[in-house]
This record gives sequence, C-alpha cells and structure tokens, in this order.
Amino acid sequence: MPELIMDRVTKQFKNKIAVDKVSLHLKEGVYGFLGANGAGKTTLLRMLCGVLRPTSGDIFCNGVPIRVLDGEYRCMLGYLPQDFGYYPDFTAKRYLEYLAACKAVPKEISREKVQEVLELVGLKNAQKQKIRTFSGGMIRRLGIAQALLNEPEILILDEPTSGLDPKERIRFRNIISALSKSRIVILSTHIVSDVEFIADHILLMKDGSIIEQGSPRDVTESVKGRVWEYLADETEAQRLNASFAVSNLRNEGDRIYLRLVSDTCPCEGAVPAQPGLEDVYMYYFEEASDNVGNLERRII
Amino acid sequence: MNRQTGGEFWRFPLDERRKSESLRRIRQEGENKQIRQCPSLAANILSQLRFQTWKYWTVQGAILLAAMALVLYLGNKGADGEEAIAVCAVFLVFAGNISLSGLGRLFSRNMAELEQTLYLNLKQMVCIQMLFGGVADLLVLGIVVGIAGGQNDAGTGAYLLYMLVPFLWSDTLYLYMLTAFHSLQQGYRQLTAGIVCGILALFPMFLEDAYEAVYLPVWGALAAAGCVLLAAEVFHMLGKIERGEGLCLN
Repeated sequence: MPELIMDRVTKQFKNKIAVDKVSLHLKEGVYGFLGANGAGKTTLLRMLCGVLRPTSGDIFCNGVPIRVLDGEYRCMLGYLPQDFGYYPDFTAKRYLEYLAACKAVPKEISREKVQEVLELVGLKNAQKQKIRTFSGGMIRRLGIAQALLNEPEILILDEPTSGLDPKERIRFRNIISALSKSRIVILSTHIVSDVEFIADHILLMKDGSIIEQGSPRDVTESVKGRVWEYLADETEAQRLNASFAVSNLRNEGDRIYLRLVSDTCPCEGAVPAQPGLEDVYMYYFEEASDNVGNLERRII
Repeated sequence: MNRQTGGEFWRFPLDERRKSESLRRIRQEGENKQIRQCPSLAANILSQLRFQTWKYWTVQGAILLAAMALVLYLGNKGADGEEAIAVCAVFLVFAGNISLSGLGRLFSRNMAELEQTLYLNLKQMVCIQMLFGGVADLLVLGIVVGIAGGQNDAGTGAYLLYMLVPFLWSDTLYLYMLTAFHSLQQGYRQLTAGIVCGILALFPMFLEDAYEAVYLPVWGALAAAGCVLLAAEVFHMLGKIERGEGLCLN
C-alpha cells in the first residue's frame, strides 16, 4: 500500500510563493483539498504528480523521493488535470488505448481494461465517437476513465466534477468511494459537496499553506459555536450581510433567513446552529464584504 | 511425520515437487494479474508509431512523393542555378516543419501536462517523435541532395550546406516555438514557423553571389552554428519539460 510524504514542499514562481512549506503524510483513503481559486491546490497536485519540481523540500513515495522512482512512480499514478488534454480526432476507445500503451498497461489486457473503464464512466456506447463530438461532461468522464486505466495506487484528480451535471457528479462520487480501498485518492475542488460525502480527510488550503486538516467531523467541529441562524428584516439583513460571512440566505415570507458565520454572536436573537462543511468553507475563505452584492441581487 | 525432540510441535515432511509446482502456479497467476509492465525502448517506439494518425502517414508519404517530383522536374527542366537551390531549400524547410508535426501534437490541446505523468512521459515521447522526424527529414534530404545536388553546378557538398543551413535554423525556431507558444493552436504555430522560415530560406537568393564558392566557409559556419543551436534548443526544451513550468496552462 503506498504512502506519500511531503516534506516542507515549497513552490515559488518568480516572486509568488504558490505552495509554502507544506508537510503532509498521506496513506490509504480519500483526501479532499478545499480552497479558493489561487490557494495553491493545483500547484501542489502538479508537484505530487511530478509535473512540477518543488523549489525546495521533497516528496517521498514509500520512503523514496519520487524523482528517484521516476517511471516506477508514474506507473502507480492516475492523474486528471484541471485542463484535461485530449486529441479531438481520436475516438474515445483509441484515445484510451493510446494512453493505456503510454501507461505501460500490457497490450493483452489493455482492450479489456479500456472497455471496463468506459463502462464505469458510462461512455461505452460512445466509444467509437470522435472526442471532438463529446460534450463537456463526456470529456470530463473520459478524463476520469483515463486516470483509472492502470489501476493506480495513487489517484490524483484536480477539479474532477467541474462540468458534470448533478447525476454525473453523484455517479462520480460513487465511483471514487468504490475505488478508495487500498489506494490514495486526492481530490482538489472548491465544490464542498464533492468532498463532504466521500473524503476521509479534508485539507483546507489558503495562500499556499494548509490551514486546517482532519476528518470531516474534526474540520466541522473546528467552527462549532461560530455558526448562527437568524431571521431578519430586509434592512437588518443587508447590514448583517455586509458585516459577516453568510453561508445561506433565503426569503421566508416578509423576512429573510440568514445563516451567519462569526466568532461571536452577530446580533441579539441569533441562535447557534450545527455547522456543516459549507460553513467551514465560509469561515476560512469568504470575505464578508463579498456578500453585499449577492444579497442585493437575491433580495431583488 | 517427524517428532522433533525438545520442541513441542510436529513437523510435516515437505513434498518439494508439489511445493515448487504450487509456487510456480502462484507466480503465474501473479504475472497474469500484472496490470503494468516495463516496455522496452523498441516497444515504446512501436506503440508511438501505432498511434500516429493516418493524416500523419499521408502527409509524410506526400512529402516524399513531392520531393521525388520536385527533383525530377528540376532535372528535366535543367534548372541548376540559384533559383533551383532556393526552391529546394524552401521545400526542405517546409518538409522539416511538417515532419515535426508529431512533436507538435504532443504539445497540443493541453496534452503535455497529462503526458508528463504517464510511464512513457512527455520527455521520452518528444525524443521518439524527434527520431521519427529525423528519419523522415533524412529521407527527404537524401532525395533532394542526392539527386538534385548531383545535377547542380555547385556540387553535392556545397549543395548539402545550402540545404542544411535553412533546414537547421528553421527546426531550431520551430522547437523554440513549441514550448514558448505552447498555448497556441498546433496548426497556427506550425504555419507561422513554416512561413517565417520559408521567407528566411529565400533570403540568400536576394544577396548577390551568396551561393558562390567563395562564401562556402560562411555557409559552413552557419551550418555549424545551426547544429549547435539546434542541439542547445533540444536540451533547453527537454529541460523545460523536466521543470514542468512551461507545460501547464495556468
């Protein structure tokens, strides 16, 4: 069973530090990286895949630096990049057979494996279609299929569900859950529900650093006592929205229901609520001032 | 069964034949289940050849035929002057540019990042594609220099230099463009490189006496510089792939 260790890994692009001295110990299970755009998630995953070289620090797989393992490490790897590449003139089947060959999957079993992954992602009927005719969701599913071709022990998925409809997203979550035994699955997303259901371990990233990590329950507990519910009138709702992070807001008759994230009780009458992962996200990533425009639009 | 004195356990005599047979079957099962292998260089080259598109093969075949047709036409026409040299040089520049299209494909459509994570990674694929391109170029160069060069007043050696200089410099420029403008669509990148290099290949024709024997040392120096630059560009490109920063779109 693989074990990945990141030892004070830093990546600097000119003057910008994208990943700052991140140390992690990853074993079997699903790891969900959550963070706003530009938090450094993609850079971190690219380093884990060996696409980018860390400026300092090292990444070890089973105690050996991945740059030393080289091809042996890549054999263990399945990767879905954020900007998934494909050859539009290839059919889905040919594309997967090509990648299977590049992933050193023996020829005798690659055809069978291609059919298996096509079935898994629901593209079996479209296998003879050229990829250029695929919708965004189909291309994403093809991306997931290629990542699974070599039965990877380390599966790294960058924004895997972007472009998928809700049904496809649920299907994807189930596939990942089924695959998570005996392997490391690393997901990066800013869609909270993606990791909420399937991640064993959640890592929150901000400005290149891991600011919080733990099981979904642990991470959620970290904001316990900081989530509040309140029914306000329109003027008060606007005031609260401008001052606090709001994780939910809806009209209830002539009043407005607000779910607020705040270290202290935001106003008299607000009652503590059971936190969820979205509240955690709001607590760590949302700037209160960003909400003003949203509120005005929603009330109108 | 033997009873071991001093120890409180029974020892069963092993049937070595059955043991080795069982181990062999276990190993066989293990090998059958193996999802990965370590293909040889030859197997990797063959797999890259297998997945070249029919367009690639058609274009390579068309270039070879065009090269044959061009030298036969020039031979029949008795064209052995500077114009013939310039036409062949431009043809070779385009041929070299097109033979590297397999290389361009690797960098197209955001494939580079994904390919770098495969067992046969981008760096190795680039080397294999350069090998294919090199073989195709040598064939075309052989046809053009071997046939047209023999008929030209300049002589085969000088003719080879006149062909090599624009060819080497254009390949260098194209390789540079691959990583410097990797987000540009493959077709546009190739077309731009082809047009720029084609124009440059025609340039000596406008210089008086550029193809005279007295300037052969200059052509030799330019060819040597082209070789050095091409080698430097290949190392630069492989280094860029290794560092990865040029492969990712954002």
